[in-house]
Amino acid sequence: MAQGVTIDAAFWGAEAAGIVALERELKRLRRAQSAHAREQARTVARAAVLNLVVYADRELHARRSAQSISDLASRHPSRAIVLLADRGAHEGAEGRLEMHCHLPTAENATQVCYEQILIRARGDADERLASVVIPLLVPDLPVFLWWTGSPPVAGRAFGQLVGLADRLVVDSADFARPEEMLPAIARISAQARGRFGLTDLNWTRLTPWREIVTSFFDVPAWRPFLDTVTGVRVGFAVDMDGRQILPSQALLFIGWLASRLGWRPIEALAPSEAGGLLFAVARADGARIQIRVRPRFERGLADGDVSGVRIQAERDGQQAEFVIKRQPDPRHQTASVLLGGERRWERTMPLPSFEIVELIGEELAIMGSDPTYEEALAALVRLG
Amino acid sequence: MATTVVNPLREGLRLARTPEPSTIVIFGGSGDLTSRKLMPALYNLALQRLLPATFSIVGAARQPLTDKRYRDELHTAVGEHSRTKPLNEEVWRSFAEHLYFVGTPDERGYDTLGQRLDRLDQDLGTNANRLFYLATPPAAYEPIVKAIGAHGLRGSTGWSRVVIEKPFGRDRESARVLTETIHTVFREDEVFRIDHYLGKETVQNILVMRFANGIFEPLWNRQYVDHVQITVAETIGVEERAGYYEQAGAMRDIVQNHLLQLLALVAMEPPAAFDDKSVRDEKVKVLHALRPVDADRLSDHAIRGQYGRGFVEGVAVPAYRREQGVAKDSRTETYVALKCFVDNWRWEGIPFYMRTGKRLPKRSTEIAIQFRVAPHQVFSREASEGLDPNALVLRIQPDEGVSLKFGAKVPVQGIRIRTVNMDFDYGASFMVDAPDAYETLILDALRGDATLFTRRDEVDQQWAFVDPIIDAWATAPAAPPIYEAGTWGPADADALVTADGRAWRKA
Repeated sequence: MAQGVTIDAAFWGAEAAGIVALERELKRLRRAQSAHAREQARTVARAAVLNLVVYADRELHARRSAQSISDLASRHPSRAIVLLADRGAHEGAEGRLEMHCHLPTAENATQVCYEQILIRARGDADERLASVVIPLLVPDLPVFLWWTGSPPVAGRAFGQLVGLADRLVVDSADFARPEEMLPAIARISAQARGRFGLTDLNWTRLTPWREIVTSFFDVPAWRPFLDTVTGVRVGFAVDMDGRQILPSQALLFIGWLASRLGWRPIEALAPSEAGGLLFAVARADGARIQIRVRPRFERGLADGDVSGVRIQAERDGQQAEFVIKRQPDPRHQTASVLLGGERRWERTMPLPSFEIVELIGEELAIMGSDPTYEEALAALVRLG
Repeated sequence: MATTVVNPLREGLRLARTPEPSTIVIFGGSGDLTSRKLMPALYNLALQRLLPATFSIVGAARQPLTDKRYRDELHTAVGEHSRTKPLNEEVWRSFAEHLYFVGTPDERGYDTLGQRLDRLDQDLGTNANRLFYLATPPAAYEPIVKAIGAHGLRGSTGWSRVVIEKPFGRDRESARVLTETIHTVFREDEVFRIDHYLGKETVQNILVMRFANGIFEPLWNRQYVDHVQITVAETIGVEERAGYYEQAGAMRDIVQNHLLQLLALVAMEPPAAFDDKSVRDEKVKVLHALRPVDADRLSDHAIRGQYGRGFVEGVAVPAYRREQGVAKDSRTETYVALKCFVDNWRWEGIPFYMRTGKRLPKRSTEIAIQFRVAPHQVFSREASEGLDPNALVLRIQPDEGVSLKFGAKVPVQGIRIRTVNMDFDYGASFMVDAPDAYETLILDALRGDATLFTRRDEVDQQWAFVDPIIDAWATAPAAPPIYEAGTWGPADADALVTADGRAWRKA
């Protein structure tokens, strides 16, 4: 593989020699598309609301992200620049472009035209990346940097690209060593304050869980139990052999509760059976809360996804349990409340899709930073 | 007293603002509106995970029904009318578990209802937060409100609110009486009068267009605007609503509420904040400034019509008087065109032409702001032949969007100008399905946000404007002129506009 993988021109478009040629090719494609649309008595609207820069170091990842962006084109039309860092050979960065015209399915909708550019950087070309990206950004639009895989936080390319971005999106589910990466991400997030926002798609995946847990304590009669939690159990999915242990998402959930409720660490995270974690934290009033994070095999779940939550509390001698399970199937959540062992309330809701395209789509809708996430992450790091 | 304890988890982005735990009581619980609109809306809210943490629905109506029977009937109805299909059976099952029915044929029924509500509060810790929804014919509004008061259905803790469907009264006087009756049980800030037009995404977008952008507002006045046209055109006839429509007519059915709402949204001054008081204060000011129509010179300002037979979308349709349930000599108007003026600093002298009708050629709701022509014609007359004045059109339905008409040079040697349209298509820019108006409005009422509901003084001013016109028509010797179905209304309506040297837009 000395020359690296061959770029699939049918997917990415023909090769252009340099930025000027690339812009010329884009113009030509836009015109052809308009002419084609006019034959069918349609108009093509060129729309862009953001610049999206994707960094990938494998062709497969680059292509998968490009596909997600295409699916999002109608919701978040963007100029997308996919950076493929291919360390196979020793050549400079070269631009390749490809243009998509997505036909929205809605009736009477006009076509939306958006642009996708692939830049493949071969060899040790990291320091050139930013210089190719800058001239290609559509002026005056926000820049989203989506980093697939573990970001090389100390790397020069990373620093330069982050310098261009208004928002950085990472996915801690992809982190090979979350125990090292999460603190590193927390440091970046602390330094980024005011300059760019940072989020983790694993945080986005937690939203439906946080929603339900929050809603339990909207009920005035149940709200006081929040101050007297005695135990929290969070399950997360593993494959059948229990090899892929990815507790980041479950831990982030604990970090969120800890940051909101003022829980403090009293014991370091300790490994327990089969890749789980067992530890205790102190409530705001000093009482002890037992936390158990454990892997479970469940069909239909991606590795690391939260599979269930159980919060136990006791107040004035009454036991309460707030339970959320993926029932009756992984596409639904069933929330139930038990007081003194008796079921008081139950409801079933559809669980929103966790397809990467949905997650990214949600992130692109948020422009600023997310302090709740930053605090949850900081609390999680303190627990570690 | 409502005890609000802060939930520390409900902080930060992303978590949807769900309403407080509560119960919704629907009077007319087995009626048409409930099964076609309200239940599908509630079910879709459940599907979007927007309902409160604990929530139950109690349907109430005269005839008795068991909970089971009620759930079964609504299961069928929601399956048919929901905007999302097919029905998610898991979610429905869980939704239906919190769905109850109480018969209210007599006074005792209301006591039973009260007991049921108290028990639900106890079980679900809902703090007696209750939303009463009157989905009944208007004649039942007053007795139900009185019964709510007499049987103490308002809880002792928590909030109580009442949602009332249109029509709110049939003239200024009856609307006032109804408001007074409601006020014996509910304060004005607990009264939510529905105008479902305000729940439409694109109607709300009028406010966003105007007040979130800096470039339109400077042009939005008599300096630059020549006139405004508002059209609410329907292709349908009276359908099954003859009983109601014969008494109402287009004036009460559309003009008094929907058209005047659109007018208020277009003409209002920028509110200080997007909240119920600021927005509605500004809307009411527009209605106050609306010049009353001179009853002696009615035909200069208000034109009515009634559809005759004709063709709509290629189908032969009968005349209004031949419709089922319509009197053979009915004088009910199915078309209204108005020329109005808003007498204030911003709009002095600028006509607002409004029209609405049934059996028009095309279904279309839009607001067109027609701008003045450029002050001095730089280009030769033949070069500018194809040039229309600039127009900004807010399309509300169908094809929601905004378009701006302006002149551009035709790419030939020399100057030739043609009018082009710059189009923003709402559907293509946001591919998300817009929520149904009832979903938006029910959720707002549960949250206590009355911005999109009509306030007492608003309704009062709306009737104050339309009452004299309705009265004049009622006493006029002539019947309304007949227009052929599938045309843009009677010829008099064209004269209303052409007399000023203008024309209706080709909608």
